[in-house]
Amino acid sequence: MSLRVLNPNAEVLNKSAALHMNINAAKGLQDVLKTNLGPKGTIKMLVGGAGDIKLTKDGNTLLKEMQIQNPTAIMIARTAVAQDDISGDGTTSTVIFIGELMKQSERCIDEGMHPRVLVDGFEIAKRATLQFLEKFKTPVVMGDEPDKEILKMVARTTLRTKLYESLADQLTDIVVNAVLCIRKPEEAIDLFMVELMHMRHKFDVDTRLVEGLVLDHGSRHPDMKRRAENCYILTCNVSLEYEKSILKLMTLLPASEVNAGFFYSNAEQREAMVAAERRQHAVLYSVFGNIKYALDHVQVCSGNDNNFVVINQKGIDPPSLDLLARAGIIALRRAKRRNMERLVLACGGEAVNSVDDLTPGCLGWAGLVYEHVLGEEKYTFVENVKNPHSCTILIKGPNDHTIAQIKDAVRDGLRAVKNTIEDEAVVLGAGAFEVAARQYLVNEVKKTVEGRAQLGVEAFADALLVVPKTLAENAGLDTQDVIIALKGEHDRGNIVGLNQHSGDPIDPLMEGIFDNYSVKRQIINSGPVIASQLLLVDEVIRAGRNMRKPT
Amino acid sequence: MVKKIGGDGGDELIVDEERRITLVPVYWLAAMREIVTVQVGGFANFIGSHFWNFQDELLGLASDPNNDPVFRNQCLNMDVLYRTGETQQGVLTYTPRLVSVGFQVFPIAGSLGSMSSRGVLYNESSPGPSDVVTWSGSVSTHASAPRKKNLFLQRLYEEEQESFSMINGTSSGKSDSQREIQDKDIVELLDNHVEFWTDFSKVHYHPQSLYELGGLWMDPQDFDNYGIGKDAFSEGFRGEEICERLRFFVEESDHIQGFQFVVDDSGGFSAVAADLLENIADEYANTPVLLFSVRSPSSQMNLRSRKQTIFRELHDTVSFSRLASFSKLIVPVGLPFLSESKASTFLRIENEKPYHCSAVYAAALHSATLPYRMEPVGPTADSFDVSGAVDFNGFVQMLAGQARQNTVVILDAAMPAPALNGKQHEQSLLGNLQPLTPEVSEDVEDLQAVESMIIHGALRSDGQRASIFEVKETVNAIYGHAITRPVFCHLSVARCPLPIPLPYPSIFGNLVGQYGELLNSPFVGSSPRGSLEVHSIPMAVRLRSSSAILPFLENRLGNLRRYGLQRGALGAELLRNWGFADDELYDMGEMLSKMAHRLSAHELSAHGLSAHGLSAHGSSAHGLSAHGSSAHGLSAHGSSANGLSAHGSSVHGISAHRKSAHGAN
Repeated sequence: MSLRVLNPNAEVLNKSAALHMNINAAKGLQDVLKTNLGPKGTIKMLVGGAGDIKLTKDGNTLLKEMQIQNPTAIMIARTAVAQDDISGDGTTSTVIFIGELMKQSERCIDEGMHPRVLVDGFEIAKRATLQFLEKFKTPVVMGDEPDKEILKMVARTTLRTKLYESLADQLTDIVVNAVLCIRKPEEAIDLFMVELMHMRHKFDVDTRLVEGLVLDHGSRHPDMKRRAENCYILTCNVSLEYEKSILKLMTLLPASEVNAGFFYSNAEQREAMVAAERRQHAVLYSVFGNIKYALDHVQVCSGNDNNFVVINQKGIDPPSLDLLARAGIIALRRAKRRNMERLVLACGGEAVNSVDDLTPGCLGWAGLVYEHVLGEEKYTFVENVKNPHSCTILIKGPNDHTIAQIKDAVRDGLRAVKNTIEDEAVVLGAGAFEVAARQYLVNEVKKTVEGRAQLGVEAFADALLVVPKTLAENAGLDTQDVIIALKGEHDRGNIVGLNQHSGDPIDPLMEGIFDNYSVKRQIINSGPVIASQLLLVDEVIRAGRNMRKPT
Repeated sequence: MVKKIGGDGGDELIVDEERRITLVPVYWLAAMREIVTVQVGGFANFIGSHFWNFQDELLGLASDPNNDPVFRNQCLNMDVLYRTGETQQGVLTYTPRLVSVGFQVFPIAGSLGSMSSRGVLYNESSPGPSDVVTWSGSVSTHASAPRKKNLFLQRLYEEEQESFSMINGTSSGKSDSQREIQDKDIVELLDNHVEFWTDFSKVHYHPQSLYELGGLWMDPQDFDNYGIGKDAFSEGFRGEEICERLRFFVEESDHIQGFQFVVDDSGGFSAVAADLLENIADEYANTPVLLFSVRSPSSQMNLRSRKQTIFRELHDTVSFSRLASFSKLIVPVGLPFLSESKASTFLRIENEKPYHCSAVYAAALHSATLPYRMEPVGPTADSFDVSGAVDFNGFVQMLAGQARQNTVVILDAAMPAPALNGKQHEQSLLGNLQPLTPEVSEDVEDLQAVESMIIHGALRSDGQRASIFEVKETVNAIYGHAITRPVFCHLSVARCPLPIPLPYPSIFGNLVGQYGELLNSPFVGSSPRGSLEVHSIPMAVRLRSSSAILPFLENRLGNLRRYGLQRGALGAELLRNWGFADDELYDMGEMLSKMAHRLSAHELSAHGLSAHGLSAHGSSAHGLSAHGSSAHGLSAHGSSANGLSAHGSSVHGISAHRKSAHGAN
């Protein structure tokens, strides 16, 4: 082999060895993630060498936590993670689907079939399945008032695979309301406008939706109020730091060539700087003057029982805090950049970059602002807002790994609701789609295909069954019985899924089990692509290693 | 002539002080001057671990009344680097204001070894592992074998438990002599078995401090170039998480002075750091960044093929340019052959041990950062313990903001610093200051050089600790006689030497005495001396903005041109894969050539300018000290926090205590 001549250290795997390496990697990854799938899956607890705990039932999280070394496995894992980035769910399904495609292919290839033919069959089957999905999906009319029930069903289906039932049901309402809160007609949904804040405090069931915003910091002055009602809110990005702006001014001053910077070298310069300092002082006061003016204006308009809150993205130093506190203003500094946007959406008004042109119209409003302190951690709640377009899901839990797991689940739930609204469609879940698609492929598509590509279509069709099979397996049911029962019902024209408790066929429509259309489409799309690529590999060359690690 | 700087500012200072007071309410002066430290990458965290060990040791020594008074009056404001906090249970904590980024290999526990990324301070009694409250179905546990704490960490743990039970009034009845783990064993163990930086760390970190990059699906040793790290920051919310942690520390700071970065720029972490810096430049626009780009000798000594040489050269160029473009001042640190270099004349270092090399760099970093950590002293109370405090911005401006606008600075160190007085030794201070920055030309006559020299814990030739005044006089005299002199030299002096904590490696040669004095006749025996033999050492370091850095810049510029910019260059394809468009590369080349040009152009015209430059700088030096002392009101605030540190150190100070006992034997 020519490569051997060029680099005697290179490792080369030939055709069948390469293929089997790929197949084994895919199967291995499938085995790891298989037990995750569905509401009867196993939650995984990862305990690190130092005792750190990670709790996850999410394929995506698990893939990220695993130190995968095998290049094929990494390729599959990347596809699955990309799946999550695009559609927010379906990582586990992608991995087990790819694994199953490889497993089915292995059987065919061992019987002497060429991978090329298989891949052609996959391609045909994939296109047919996608067409079938279009017919199979259940359209949902969104309009101005989306059907809350269907959104809840989708969210519940996702959440119940991640959390125990009653918590999942509690969160279902939360995520649906959160998405509906931030949804604006004619605009794409920006899930970042739902803040996920967590507190290591109390229990998981204390998780709630805050219409308004929760910030993870508080005021930094002892005299500021800890609770205020009827608050006007100024969202701004203005540096309220006295000394730093002085320094900035000083560097702008004319200085001799050698003596740039802010060191005085003669009397005039010092005078100039003192003058600059005075100017700055005046500027600072005028900032508060403007704020005061806005406040007074508001007071005049709407009575005296109002409060004033400044939330600033930049810093506020102690002297400025002191001035604000004396004026009875609550001030928060260094707010997250994204919170500037959220605040405006939640409270109204607009974010200002300069206080010169401050008008009462820039101000937002919240009925209640209060602080909650846990040790050194402070939280500021901005609540009772009018007509919010941003909200916060406040996740509580007794420890970090519980919080992290709930957070993952909430993220998935939010994505599921968003997908439903954007897809304007859902797909019957509990394995119903997979069985129906399989029957369609075997009974109808296969006949239209000529030659050995038929086998590819068949392999694809059987691979689809991995979803109901795994669901049954995880629920402790007999896989064969379940599949036969499901196929039978489908042949009789009933669209049924799997009841995880009894193993009997059920109607997912009645049970309210729905999956996302876009997630399914993405799985059908990407699975065969990766599987085909892996099947067509006929040589694996590993070069770099030995060169990179000199002894 | 070099002007001396210090707390003896004279008239100007007082005038200034008065003016400020008329304008500025007193409490404004009490504002904290916080610095947030950011460590990115493996070797940076090794250095950081030693660095924080020094700070912890100093805190412990300061709170122990039986100690050498020089440690009790360090006049270091630890609040600059540390934060006070409180756990949910109401226990006060004192932890570094630090964000550290490492490499995660979960579930084997990555760069942190046996330390939990959340630390131990803020953990409640940990619930049993069977405690899964969010899932009613089956649970499968994948536990990797717990990493055993090594002897040193076991001992720390024991001591903590003991001091805890002592607070509760129950005596444990275990005295020093009964202790099972001997110091000797610990030192020996650490010398041979340090794998992670946490193995020798005696510091408690805040749960927000330690971040690990996860989900990269590669071995740490494969994370070795700019291209591989380029997406590590932006992907999967990693960057957002890091920035959030940084924001946590910035938000609670009343008046952040700046960011102090230590970046391992030998691999993918330089891309991570560059992206983080870009974010900082965006979010905290006016806050200066001082960056130490560090690398271990082992990352540089691989024998490589031509292709890999190009690869490496381009990585060095790209990572330097990216890091330099976002920092006010960048200090490249890390010699390819540290143990053979002149900087380690009195040291016994093994190049392949990061534990060793990082110890040297950490000592230099500790000293170099002293000026902006010293308690500023007013004109009336001239301190016997420190002199030459500058604030962070002043420090950075002084070195970078002079006429040439050179932002790349050389770090020199004399470890340990030689004894001061005695005619015959005069040159040895300058002679012992050897660069830790690579690719620096020797014997360059740069009349435009700007320096900041820091000497602390210096000894006289009779072995006594020299006073501040003596040090200043000596340095003045040395520069008075020197042939080449910088145009401006800022001198910071402290009496407190560098303490050697127990987990410090045994890297001292047999010419180094118990207090770091250089002996005329070596100790018998060839084994290197460590923390059991050497109690503290005097240090001298110098940050130098000089044209001696030209080779460093020119090499990078040359490599970029040769491998990246020329038509049909060998590395053009590679750079494109790393995500650099042609115009970006062109800008990069422009920036490097400007940097080099500023230095070389001034070298030529320096003679004409020098006379003028000197006088101007004399007065600016005074202005400097005035600036530093304007924040005098700090001390009241600082001392209240010291009360807290006493608590923290009652836990950690034990090793210090024990060591001084050892010294008495």
